[in-house]
Amino acid sequence: MIGWIFTALPTKRGLQLSLKDPATLLGIGLLITFSYLILAPVISILMDAVNVNFGDSNRIGTPQGNFTLYYLERVFTSPISQRLFWQPLFNTLSVALGAMCIAMVIGGVMAWLLSRTNLWGRGWFATALIVPFMLPTWTFALAWTTLFKNRSMGGQPGWLESMGYSSPDWLAYGPVPMVLILALHYIPLVILLFGNALRRLDSQLEDSARILGASRSTVAFRIILPLMRPALMSAMVLILADALGEFAVPYILGLPVQYDTLSTSLFRAISSRQTGVASVLAGAIMVLGCITLTIDLYLMREARRFVTLGGKGAMERRRPLGVWRLPATLLAASLFVVGVVLPLMTLFLSTVMRIPGRFNLSNFTLDYWIGTNLDTIALSNGILLTPEFWSATWNSLRIVGTASICAGLLGLLVGYVVTRTPWRWLASTLRQLTFMPYLVPGIAFAAATLSLFAVQRGPVPALYGTSLILMLALIADQMPFASRAGISAMTQLGKEPEEAAQISGASWLKRMVSIIVPIQKGALVVGIVLPFISGIKGVSLFIILAVPATEVLTTYSLRLVDYNYTQAANAVVLMIALLAWGGTVLTQKLTKTGLAQGLES
Amino acid sequence: MPTITLDAISKQYSQQATAVQNVDLHIPSGDFMCLLGPSGCGKTTMLRMIAGLEHLSHGRLYIGDQLVDSPQSGCFVAPEKRGLGLVFQSYALWPHMTVEQNIEFGLRLRKLSERERRARTGEVMEKLGIAGYAKRYPSQLSGGQQQRVALARMMVLKPKVLLLDEPLSNLDASLRLEMRAELKRLHQAFDTTILFVTHDQWEAMTLATNIAVMSKGQLQQVGSPDDIYARPANRFVAEFIGNPPINQVAADTALGGRLARQPNTHMLGIRPEDIHLAPDATAHTLPAKVRGIMPTGGSWVLDMEIEGQCLQLSTQIRPQVQAGEHTYCQIQPQHVHLFDAAGSRLEHTAYHNAVPTSFMHAV
Repeated sequence: MIGWIFTALPTKRGLQLSLKDPATLLGIGLLITFSYLILAPVISILMDAVNVNFGDSNRIGTPQGNFTLYYLERVFTSPISQRLFWQPLFNTLSVALGAMCIAMVIGGVMAWLLSRTNLWGRGWFATALIVPFMLPTWTFALAWTTLFKNRSMGGQPGWLESMGYSSPDWLAYGPVPMVLILALHYIPLVILLFGNALRRLDSQLEDSARILGASRSTVAFRIILPLMRPALMSAMVLILADALGEFAVPYILGLPVQYDTLSTSLFRAISSRQTGVASVLAGAIMVLGCITLTIDLYLMREARRFVTLGGKGAMERRRPLGVWRLPATLLAASLFVVGVVLPLMTLFLSTVMRIPGRFNLSNFTLDYWIGTNLDTIALSNGILLTPEFWSATWNSLRIVGTASICAGLLGLLVGYVVTRTPWRWLASTLRQLTFMPYLVPGIAFAAATLSLFAVQRGPVPALYGTSLILMLALIADQMPFASRAGISAMTQLGKEPEEAAQISGASWLKRMVSIIVPIQKGALVVGIVLPFISGIKGVSLFIILAVPATEVLTTYSLRLVDYNYTQAANAVVLMIALLAWGGTVLTQKLTKTGLAQGLES
Repeated sequence: MPTITLDAISKQYSQQATAVQNVDLHIPSGDFMCLLGPSGCGKTTMLRMIAGLEHLSHGRLYIGDQLVDSPQSGCFVAPEKRGLGLVFQSYALWPHMTVEQNIEFGLRLRKLSERERRARTGEVMEKLGIAGYAKRYPSQLSGGQQQRVALARMMVLKPKVLLLDEPLSNLDASLRLEMRAELKRLHQAFDTTILFVTHDQWEAMTLATNIAVMSKGQLQQVGSPDDIYARPANRFVAEFIGNPPINQVAADTALGGRLARQPNTHMLGIRPEDIHLAPDATAHTLPAKVRGIMPTGGSWVLDMEIEGQCLQLSTQIRPQVQAGEHTYCQIQPQHVHLFDAAGSRLEHTAYHNAVPTSFMHAV
């Protein structure tokens, strides 16, 4: 401890030298920037949770700004706490756990089939089964409503309804479809994480157990499973953490039957201007996120202990499936049909049909894409001819694009400072600070950003309603990926190429411009494109922070859902899916790496 | 050509971790000095401090007459202003530039005209035999070629001092031999002071005009290769240099007692080539048993048991004995090194007087 203090407090000469050191100066700048972008919003929202907010002073009986436990009591113990917090918490956890269990079982089997057996078309399935992960979750939710929607909701009926079968509420809305849809979304994640771990497992470990006389099942349960445990646990925790903050699926499938999750409850609180309650809910989501991801960090550390095993022996060896080869292949194929073909076909068909579920030629039309003078009130043209669609597309590209470029560059700079500064505390603080948004689900972080930037604070004007607030929130939200990419790229590069330039006489700026950035071009592209894809299909930040002037594709499509313009909403979602998928394929082409590596780094 | 002077320099990373401790070293102008030591002994840190990539914690560092780093006076000259060349162990070629661009980079920074840049780049590439690769990228070159580019990149700036950090350790054996000869040639051709870091004693012995041996952050001995081999300043240097390693015998053993009468805490060191096989017992031989014979091609290393001690013997003459046989050995008393309890070498005269008469006449 004392040693740490010694290294933490630089000597006078150390201080003088460090202040001449560009990496340290840059690091201090970044520290200030991220404190403002990441730490300040979180602190601000936590303060909002325990201070009397604007407009509440009469009800609470203390002046605005004073300390109060009112919001905490309201959310956790008051009569309406059941509806505000406890029921949504229960719903959130049951949906998340349900989705996790199904995804683990199906994904686990698939991962094994894909990496360890002679399944037909392994290579093709290995890519095809990952596709659902590239699509926004609510693609599935919209496809589901297109199929199963019943009379509980207004607007166009679902296909089943119009074919004469009325689907019951439990099938059309609520936990059952939510669990199934999220499970479909997370199966690829399990395939990626678990499959990678399986592939990395040294087959000599199995061989030596077999030679010692262990049976197949003994090998599976005593050797493989224990070694796979960290990967399995990590996949479970990541799914849980991600499902906690899921907003779009419960918004589409839960609200019609009042099935609230924490994120929709938070959204309601914000839209009804209950800032204090919203702050408490956001805080609660953050705490849950922190808990799950702390567990994950611990597990990853455990997992590292196993990784060293690898090496030459990690030869791929496949087990013949025998008579099970055909059924197994059919299983994989049906997963592909359910997870990719069915939802996308449903969505696509729905956009070219006037009346849902009626498959005769006269019912088909391209009006919803390119038609004019439609009889819908707010949307008289096909979606491709609607200016709002194009302005939303432009907004999406502009806002998400700018934020991703900033995040990518900042990530590289963080990587530079972390690997270069002699101040160890600066490196570790930056590393942890930029990782923090990962612990905070998007919707909670959006609420936090709103809490900080909604009003004028000091010289910073109120930013609500501008695209700047969206960009700032997006940058912060994307920093965990960007800084991880930057740090790993800079660590791999090492100091020498820069030092060689320094010895040759290059100044710091020259070194950055002619050596570091060009060498890291590839990493920079990944650090920009990956956040771009997740930003394009993201909902939770925008739903809180966007206003009509800054409407993006995702909020536009949700608004169309609210208006019950099913065809138009589905068309927009298809376009988003196309953008996200195209971007992913482009990244893979550019970097010549699989998505799997990207997820793990 | 400047000299480099290290005046009591130290490098501390933290209270616990001291990399270099109180080193005084003078590198004369035009010297080919080699810093030799096991990995982690602080030699690369020293090199980096001279280059200016690390700051001193204590002491003073001069290049020529100019003070370039001194914590006491707060003086520090940035690496790019020291006029040195440094070749890294990993070469650190810039992967996004061609060979030519890599070499030209420093000249561009110095705002040389296009013509002059071409001339100097061409000349240095010619000298190093890489003229044919100008348009290639580093990843398209072999290890030896990359090495030459790294050298060329520094040489083109005509540095007065060239620092080399284990530049040969990433090359295969035959290339290493070739580059070693090349470096020696370059030292003469470019007329620079070279400071070379290595953990390979063979490399140090063959290349250097002077060797500085380091261990645990401290300088052990500075001298010519011959000097260091023949008169190691202490047990560490004696052990570190020589292959097979020097034999060590405690003074209080039976053999030790026969070789030199010394206090029990002292150690005797005998180089393997200083033990000779003798066919018959004479007044100057010791009975020995051959435990094993290892041919190394051109010479032989024998595992011997002498007076209950295991010693290694090396010889250029094919041994006429078999493993398991008994034979005799001869050790010239003047070739026995003597180290005191602290490990320091005792000078020859001191040792000479101590040789027991019993040995001279015994057996």
